[in-house]
Formats: sequence, structure tokens, C-alpha cells
Amino acid sequence: MRLALRALLFAIGTFFLATAADAEGITPIRAKVEAGADGYRLDAEFDIRFSPRLEEAVNRGVALYFVVEFELSKPRWYWFDERPVQLSQTYKITYTPLLRQYRLSADAAYQNFTSFEEVVAALSRVRGWPVAESGALHKQGDYQAAIRMRLDTTQLPKPFQLNAVASSDWNLASDWYRWSVNP
Amino acid sequence: MRPLIFLCVVTGAGLVYLMSQASSNTALFTQNYPTLLGLGGLLSLGLMLLIGYQLFVLRRKLKERVFGSKLSLRLMVVFALMALVPGGLVYAISFQFLQSSIESWFDVRMDKALEGGLNLARSSLDSSLRELGQKAEGMAQSLASARAVEPATLSRLREQYGVEEATLLNQRGKVIAFAGTEATSLQPEIPGANVLRQIRAQQPVRTIESIPERGLFLRVIVPVNVLTIAEDIRILQVLQRVPTAVAQDARVVDQGWRDYQELTLARVGLKRIFGLTLTLAMLLTLFSSIAVAFLLSERLSAPLSALAEATRAIAKGDYSRLNPVRSRDEFGILTQSFNTMTRQIADATEAMERNQQQLENAKTYLESILSNLTSGVLTFDERHYLKTVNATAYEILGVPVGAFHGLKLQDWTTHVATVSPFAEIVLKHFSAAATRQWEQQLEYRRHDGARTLLVRGTHLMTRGDTGYVVVFDDITHLAQAQRDAAWGEVARRLAHEIKNPLTPIQLSAERLQHKLLQKLPEIDADVLKRATGTIVNQVTALKGMVDDFSQYARASRMTAEQVSLNDLVREVLVLYESMGVPIEPQLAENLPRVAADPALLRQVLHNLIQNAMDALVGADQPRIVVTSSFAADGITLSVRDNGSGIAEAVFGRIFEPYVTTKPKGTGLGLAIVKKIVEEHHGHISVENVLPHGAHVSIVLPLREAA
Repeated sequence: MRLALRALLFAIGTFFLATAADAEGITPIRAKVEAGADGYRLDAEFDIRFSPRLEEAVNRGVALYFVVEFELSKPRWYWFDERPVQLSQTYKITYTPLLRQYRLSADAAYQNFTSFEEVVAALSRVRGWPVAESGALHKQGDYQAAIRMRLDTTQLPKPFQLNAVASSDWNLASDWYRWSVNP
Repeated sequence: MRPLIFLCVVTGAGLVYLMSQASSNTALFTQNYPTLLGLGGLLSLGLMLLIGYQLFVLRRKLKERVFGSKLSLRLMVVFALMALVPGGLVYAISFQFLQSSIESWFDVRMDKALEGGLNLARSSLDSSLRELGQKAEGMAQSLASARAVEPATLSRLREQYGVEEATLLNQRGKVIAFAGTEATSLQPEIPGANVLRQIRAQQPVRTIESIPERGLFLRVIVPVNVLTIAEDIRILQVLQRVPTAVAQDARVVDQGWRDYQELTLARVGLKRIFGLTLTLAMLLTLFSSIAVAFLLSERLSAPLSALAEATRAIAKGDYSRLNPVRSRDEFGILTQSFNTMTRQIADATEAMERNQQQLENAKTYLESILSNLTSGVLTFDERHYLKTVNATAYEILGVPVGAFHGLKLQDWTTHVATVSPFAEIVLKHFSAAATRQWEQQLEYRRHDGARTLLVRGTHLMTRGDTGYVVVFDDITHLAQAQRDAAWGEVARRLAHEIKNPLTPIQLSAERLQHKLLQKLPEIDADVLKRATGTIVNQVTALKGMVDDFSQYARASRMTAEQVSLNDLVREVLVLYESMGVPIEPQLAENLPRVAADPALLRQVLHNLIQNAMDALVGADQPRIVVTSSFAADGITLSVRDNGSGIAEAVFGRIFEPYVTTKPKGTGLGLAIVKKIVEEHHGHISVENVLPHGAHVSIVLPLREAA
């Protein structure tokens, strides 16, 4: 009965503990959108700190998916905000114990690293992400840009998902980092 | 309530199914697992609230002592225990089993074996890599001597060393020569800048990498050293594919290790998932079964409540409540029996009521007979307590109605003294047990005069209900009438028999006087004259007496007309003005006329005044008052004197003929008065007044004119 009670409490608790604050996490440090010859490109940098358990999970071969979301919006007084750009990019970190290699892959492209720090450093930098065509943005007025990075817990293996819901160790997500862009 | 529980149970079943699906591997459910858990928790909470509510309702019912609620509680507890104990047991065992079985997956030997396999694969790959490195060193030395390297030279070297792909680059990473088997791509893999930097620092790079879609490759990059400082160093990259079988095995080992590690990590999570699923399923099942237990217990105890309701209705006298028979089980039979019983009770009660009604009717009938009877009826029980009495009995006895209610016969006298002669006689007859039936006539003094009662009694000997019955009649009028008739007959005979010889006697006496008066000497003539005078006078007196008799005896020959009573009184009183007795009229004004025979009324007045005067002979301050006034049922005429009054001995029979207290008198005066009054349908009463004197009052009805 005590076990059952505990389990029930846990089930109830899952809803309320999910948002607890923690030292580990992702913090956006800087981000900017620059107009280039072939359109607008995004550069951003995050400070990513893995919890020991998350790092252990990676070293034991669990694949982690990180999602970087970016959006541009322009407030409109007469209607919902204009959202010309809404993008997301998924990064995947895997470890191959046979080769003692970390791999950071985005879509088809990948990069191998020999140490965990290297792969985290690579993950925390976004370089030249094309976010908009040259003519896609209006010249007048500022756009509100927002970016964030989070661990996609839904792609974790099932047992970890529950952990992710229950424990802050598994919840890695930055707040939205907002700045204004003047095209 | 029922649909709600049904909904909860169905939802719970669905949730448990979905969760069990989610615990196995289905992508869709996997994603929604937390949601499912939350829903399950919420549903459990909802069910708990529902059960709480049900408990609350049950508790209230228990407090209000609703019939069947105790049974509901007991059934509920039994059902709940039946669900809880096996459920809890199975749950505990399952939980324990789950935990231990998950733990049993993880094993040190397994761990070691996988680790060993991995190491084996690594060392195998490492040795291959080392071998490739030596080959690369060899090739580099061969190439170092050659100033200009032809692709052909490289190709020959590649074949000589048995390497799959060889690329010669300058120190900026530009391809100088490339040689590969046909299976390899035409484009060489260019190492990155870091690698180039490393090589320039004379550090060879050996890596194993898995290239998507090509497989596992060993890559060795070595500097091709130069002999002179002036020359640039070149870089040789050698690529060797790991044999497919080895690569596959290595990958399997790798995958196995990873899966195992993941499982190790996920152990807690897995336990949680299974535990949670199990717990939620258990909770949902348990709560559902308890909720359903409520319904079941209510359903089972419902017929009882219905029966209780019906019982209460019957207790209140409502027999119309018949419970529908819904089931074929014992409850149904019980309900049916109950309905039959209700119907029988209803019939019995109806019959009883009918009987009672009949009894009551009979009683009412008897009572109405008794109350309308002109005879007084009394019934007593064995101990002489009065049981039944009719109003006539009280009326005849002259006591207020209900005076003797429930009193013993012996105690009557203490309550009403006047009934003592009656009570004594009845008691005497009761005591004489031998006499079954008796009859006695007695004189009974009532406040309004003496009455003659005929009392008959009997001892009831009917089964079970014994006692006495006394029936008595006021036969005063009957006796009076009999006496009157007898006296009338006597008077008529007397008048007839006496009157006839009177005239010859008188005539004879007169003739004697007439014939013999002259012939006799003076002295004798005197004697004769006195004697004949006496005879004639006495005969005349006798004639008057006979006239009175005949008057009393004559048949009614009243000729009624409208008479003013006051005028008549005044007319008569004039005649008595010089009689030496003051007569004072007190006459009410505006009296209506009455229908009467004035001559007869005059006689009544004459008789009454004569009586009064007779009573006043020798009295101090004689005085007569004649009054006329309104009465309830007519006009009262009364004559009062302050004479000697009526003697007690004759009071009861004062209106009978020949009853008199006067030294000379026929005793017919009041009898005639009474006869006349009765011919006028009035009534007459006599009473003595204080301090002395008599008061005669006559009431003449007004309505008799018609």
C-alpha cells in the first residue's frame, strides 16, 4: 500500500515538479541575425551545462536530441503578430563506444568528436543558419527575434521520458532569448 | 450516479488498456504516456471523490436510520473487502515480482561479457589500425624518396601494401595523387584543418570512423617526411575498409552494449513505469469495484427498502401500496408474499370495518330506539353499576341527564336524594336473586309532583353478558285517566240515580205542607212547616250537588271563541267585590286573545276564587291575587291566596274528585277546573307558597284556536 501511495503521489507530483529551477541548463549568450548576400543568417551561442546524469546517459549510448527554435515576429496592432519566420533545427548527439567517438549530426551532416566537451562546444554554437531570403523581410520597422534551445524529451527512450517528466536532471531547455532585428 | 460510475469504470478500463499498450513499445502511446498517467491519476482522484461522496451519502442515510442502509453498508464492506484483499495481494506480489524481475535483467557477468566483447572488438580494430599504420609508414618511407609522385607510383604502392585507398596531399590539404580500388569512390576524403595541423607537427593520426552508407573505415594519416628543410612535407592518407563481417559483428557488440547500458540507466525509469501502470491499474480497478460495490449493495438492499416503505404504509393504514415484483429470486418471492399479505390484511381490515360499521349501526339503531322510547330503560352489570341509560329514564326520574353515569345503584341516593324510593325497590328486587322477572308500581315524588311509576325488571342471563335490565314507565296519566273515568261513571250514576227521586221528594214535602198546614193545630203546624222546610232545603242542596256531579260527568261540549282573558277576569271579580276579601288583579297588558269557552272559563275562575275564599276563612289579612301573564307556551292565569294552603296528605291527588279538606264540599271544584283546562289543551299546576297559602296556575295555549 505504501508503494502504491508513493506511486500515486509521484504521478500527481509529475505535473508540478516539471518546472523546478536548476543550476544545469541552457542559457543563450548571444545571438544575431545578419544580412548577407544570399539572405539573412543567424549566429548564436549558448551556454550548455549538462547534468551529470545526462552526461552519463550520453556516455552510455543514449541519443539526445536538441531542438533550436527560431522565430521572427512583428507586432501588429490590428491583428495577430506577423510571423514571417518560424524555424526549428534538430541536433542529435550520439556516442559510439566502439570507436569512442561522439557524433553531432544535423539532418544528413555529421561531425565526429573524441571528447564530450568538444561535442558540447560544437552544439552550443550556431553558425550561419540561413533563416530568411533577402527580400523576405520588410525594411521598415524592427522585427522581434527569439531563439531557444531545448532537449527534446519526446525523442528520448520511453523510460527516460518519465524521468524527464519527473526530474529536473532531464529537463534541459533555455528560455526564449529575444532581441530586435533591424533588416 | 449510475451513469457516472459506469463512465468512470469504462474510462478506467480504457486507460488501463492504453497504459498497458504504452508500457510495451508503441511510439504513439509512448509519447502520450505522461498524459495517460495524468489522466489515470485524475480518474483515480475522481473515483475517490465519488466513493467519498457515496460514503457521505451512506453515512447520512445511516444517521437518518434509513431502512436498508445498514445492510448496504455491510454489503459494501464485504464487496470492498472482496475486491481489496485479493486485489492488494495480487498487486503486492506483482509489484514485488516486477521489481525483482527487472533487477534480474542486470547481471555483473552480463555486464562484463558485454564490456569484454566491446574491448575485444576495439582491440581487434586497434590491431588492424596499427597494421594499417605500419603499412602507411612503409608507404610514406617509399614515397619520401620519390621527388615527384605519379598516381601510378601511388597505385603501385597501394597494391603492394594491400591498402584500399591511398591519397597523397600537400601540406595545405590539396590532393597530389589519389589511388583507390574500383569499389571506392572517386573522391578522396579530405582531412580537416586540425588533422593537417597535427600532421605538420609530425604526429600521425589514426582513426576508425564509420562513414554513413559506406561502412566502417580505418584511416591513417602520416607525414611523408622530406630530407631537406627546403621541401614542403606531404601527407599520406590511407583508408582501409574493415571487413564487412568484422564490422557487422563490431556493430552488433556496440549496439548490444549501448542497449544494455541504456537499460541499466533506464532501470529506475522502467520500474517506475511498470510500477505506476500497475498501481494505477490497481487503483482504478479497486476504486471502480468499490464504486460498483456501492451500486450493487444499493441494488440488493433496494427491495428491502421498498418492503420497509410498504410496511410503514401498512402501519399507517395504507394498503394500496403493492410492490412490483421485479426479480424471480427469493426477493421476488418475498415481495410477492408481502403483496399477498397486504391484500389479505386489506381485505380483513375492510371486513372488520364493515362489521364494526354494522355493529355501530345496530348500536345507533338500538340507542335511537331507546332514546325514542317513552319508557325509561336502565341496565346494570352484576355489581349494580349503571351501564346504559336512556334520556327518558332521567326525564321520568326527574334528574339531570347524565347524573348517574357510571354510578353504582347504591350510590344514587347520595347524589340525588329523591330517587331513594326507586333505588330501594330496584335494589330489593336485585337482591332477591330468585326472582327472574318482577314488576312493581310505586309512587315517586318528583319536584313537580308525585308520579306513579310502573317498574319492571329482569336479570339478564345471556351468555357472557349478565346483568340487570330495568324498564319503567310513568303511568301517572294513565292511572289518572282511569280514575277520572271511574269517577265520571260514579258521578253520572249518582246524578242519575239521585236526581230522579229528588223531585218527587220535594213535591211530596210541599204537598204535605200544603194539605196538612191548615188542618193541624198551631204547634204541630209549626213542626210540619219546619220539617218540610228542611226537606225542601236539603233536597235543593242535594240537587246542587247532583248538578255538580252531572257537570263533572257530562261530555265535553266546549264552544270556543276568541276571548280577552283580562276582560273576563274583571267581569268575574266585580261579583266578589262585596264579599269582604280583597281581590287584587295583576293583569298583563296587551295580552292576545285566546280561544276558549267564556262560560267555562268563568266557572274556572269562580271555582278557584271560591276555593281561595274557603281557604281564607278565619285568616288574618286575607288576600287573593289574580294574575295574568305571558308564558312560554301560552298565557298564564293564576290565583294565589295566603290561606292555609293544601294539606300534604292530599297534595298528590288534589285534582281527583271527592278529594277535599273542606268541612263541606263535594271535592269536585278542582276536578272540574282541571277537566275544563284539559279540554282547552292547557295544563294546571298547584303549589303551596311561603309562608302559607296556595298558588294555582293555568296555562292556556295560544295556538289552539285553529
